[in-house]
Amino acid sequence: MTDDPILRIQGLVKDFGDFRALKGIDLEFGKGLLVGLIGPNGCGKSTMMKCISRLHPQTSGTIEVAGKDVSSMKASEVAKLVATVPAEMGQTFGISVMDMVMLGRYPFVEKIWWEDPEDERVTREAMRTFGIDHLRRKQVALCSSGERQRALIAKAYVQQPKLMLVDEPTSHLDMKYKLQVMEYLQKMARTDMTVIVAEHDISLMARYCDVCVIMKKGEIVAVGDPKVIITEQLIRDVYEVEARVGLDADGEIYVLPKRYIEEDL
Amino acid sequence: MAEKGSLFSSLKKGYKGMKDDMNSQDDSEIARKKKRFLLIVIFGLFMSLVAFLISISISSGGVIPVADAVAALFSSIGKAFSNDPNLDMIELYIYNARLPRTIAAIAVGAGLAVAGCMYQAIIRNPLVDPYITGVSSGAGCLAMAATALGFSIPFLANNSLYIIPVVAIIGGIAAFMITMTVAEGSGGSSINYILAGTIVGFAFSSVQTIFMSMGKDNLTDVMWWLYGSFANITWENSWIIFVPVMGISIVAMIWAREFNLYSMGEDQAAQLGLNIKMFKRLTMIVASVLTALCVAFVGIIGFVGLVVPHACRMALGSDHRLIMPASVVIGAMLMLFADLVARTVLSPAELPVGAITAIIGTPVFAYMLMRRGRSYDG
Repeated sequence: MTDDPILRIQGLVKDFGDFRALKGIDLEFGKGLLVGLIGPNGCGKSTMMKCISRLHPQTSGTIEVAGKDVSSMKASEVAKLVATVPAEMGQTFGISVMDMVMLGRYPFVEKIWWEDPEDERVTREAMRTFGIDHLRRKQVALCSSGERQRALIAKAYVQQPKLMLVDEPTSHLDMKYKLQVMEYLQKMARTDMTVIVAEHDISLMARYCDVCVIMKKGEIVAVGDPKVIITEQLIRDVYEVEARVGLDADGEIYVLPKRYIEEDL
Repeated sequence: MAEKGSLFSSLKKGYKGMKDDMNSQDDSEIARKKKRFLLIVIFGLFMSLVAFLISISISSGGVIPVADAVAALFSSIGKAFSNDPNLDMIELYIYNARLPRTIAAIAVGAGLAVAGCMYQAIIRNPLVDPYITGVSSGAGCLAMAATALGFSIPFLANNSLYIIPVVAIIGGIAAFMITMTVAEGSGGSSINYILAGTIVGFAFSSVQTIFMSMGKDNLTDVMWWLYGSFANITWENSWIIFVPVMGISIVAMIWAREFNLYSMGEDQAAQLGLNIKMFKRLTMIVASVLTALCVAFVGIIGFVGLVVPHACRMALGSDHRLIMPASVVIGAMLMLFADLVARTVLSPAELPVGAITAIIGTPVFAYMLMRRGRSYDG
C-alpha cells in the first residue's frame, strides 16, 4: 500500500502438529493505521499475532516489521519494534501499576538492576497520557478491568514500538471503557504507530478502524475499509450468523446479530 | 553518592519524615527503591553483626559476656593462624563450635530463602518451596542409603563426616535432573515442573522409607540429617557452605529484573525480549544447586524457603531488587535465631532446627498474613 510498509507478511503458514492454523497469509500495512482483526473464535487471529511478535515461530513464510525479518532477529530487538497487549493476565504477584508499566522499558535498559531516569520519565509520561498516574502504587490485581487495560496499553506504549498488537482489549469492559480504550488506540495510531486490534465487537471495530482484516479458518477473507467490506453476506459467510448491517443517523456502521445458522452435521 | 545523602537526610527526619518522603507525589520511584535497597543492606549488615554476637555469646554451655566472647574469638583465630594448639575452654567453644555454626546458619538461611524466592518467581506459584524439584527427597534417599547399607566412598574413607553431605549432594542433583528431564519433556510449563518434582520427590521418599526399614539399627546417624541440624558443622565445612551459598545467592540477584518480568507471565516476558526457555533452565539449575548445597550439610530444613520470600513480598512489594536482598537478610536472621533456640532451650539436648524454624516463623507469618493478606496476591 505504501512504499515503506511497517508490516509485510508473505505466505505465512503456521502448523500445530497436523493442524494448519494459518494457511498462507499475505498482508501489508503502512504506518499510522488502526487495523481491526475480525473473525470467529479459532480463526487464527491470536496465532497470527503471536507469530508476528515471535512468540510462535512460523512454519513457513516471512514476516517483516519496518523492513526487518522478524525471525532472524534477537528477541530483545523484536521487543523494540513490536509490543503486545495480552487479552488477559493471570496472577500478577502484587506488582504495582507503575512497576508493570516500567517493565515495558526492559528491552531498552542496558544496565543490570536499575532503570535510568529517562526510563522513568517516559513511563510517567505514558501513565499521564493514559490517565493512570494516580494509580502508580496500586497493585495491578486490585485495579478495575478498565484501569488494568489502560495500564497494559501504557506498558506496550513505553516500548515505543513501530507496531502494537492488541488482543481483545475490550472484552471485559463496559461500554464507556470500550469507547475509551478504542479512542486511546486510535490516538496512538495517529502517532505513526500501527496498531492491530483483534476484537469480537464488529460495530466497534468498524467505527474506529481504518482497515479491517476478516479472517476465517486460517485464511484472509477480506481486507479493506470496514464500511465497504462488512456486509450481511460477509457476516453470514464468516460467522454463519444472520445479521443486520446498516448505517445509523450519524453515518456509523452497526452490526446487529439476529440468529445463527444451524450447521449441517 | 546522591543516594547516600538522601538516606542520611531521611534518617535525620526520622521515621515519619521518611514516610512523608515515600508518600510525596513527585519523588522518583527509582530513587525511592534505591533508598529502600540501601536501607535493607545497612539493616542486614547491622542485624547480622548483632545476631552474630548474640549467637557466639550464648550456647548450651551458658552465656559469656559479649566482650569476652569477641576477645576469645579474635584470640582463637590468632592462635589458629599461628598454629598454636593451646586454646582455652572459651576459645575452644567459640572457635570450634559456635563460630562455624553461626556461619553455616547465616549461609543456609540466606540460601534457602533466595532459592525459594527464585522458584516462586519462575514457577509463578506461591506454594512452591526450594524442595519442589525433589532435591531434598533425592538427597535424603541417598543419605539414608549410605547409612543403612553402610557404604563408604573410597576417597572419603577416613573422613566419615563428609559421607552424608557428599552423597546428599549427588542424590539432590540426580533427583533434580530427573525432574527437569520429565518437566521439559512434557512441555516445560510451570505446572509440569510442579507435577514432575512432586512425583520424583515421592519416588525418592518411598525408596528412602525402604532403606529406613532396612537400616533400623544405625538410623541415629542419619536422623539428625532428616530433621535438620547444625550440630555436625565444623570449622572446615562451614566455609564449604558459606562461600558458595552466599556467592550464588548474591550472583542470582543480577536476575532481579528478569524475575520481575516473570510476574507478567511467560508470554509477556518472552515478548519483552527474554529468552524464557534458557532463563528458566538456568535459574532452575542455579536454585537447585543452591538448595542442594544447603541441604547437604545440615539436612532438610523446611519453612524458611517457603515463607521468608512471602514475608519480604508482603513488606516490600513485588520488586525482586528489594525482595531478594531482604530474603537474604531475613532468612539468615530466622535461621540464626532458630539454631540458637535449638541448641539452648533443652541443652545439652539439641532440638531439630527444622522444627524450630516453623515454630518461630508461623506466628509471625500468621500475623503478617492477617494484616496484609487481603491485598496480597502471592
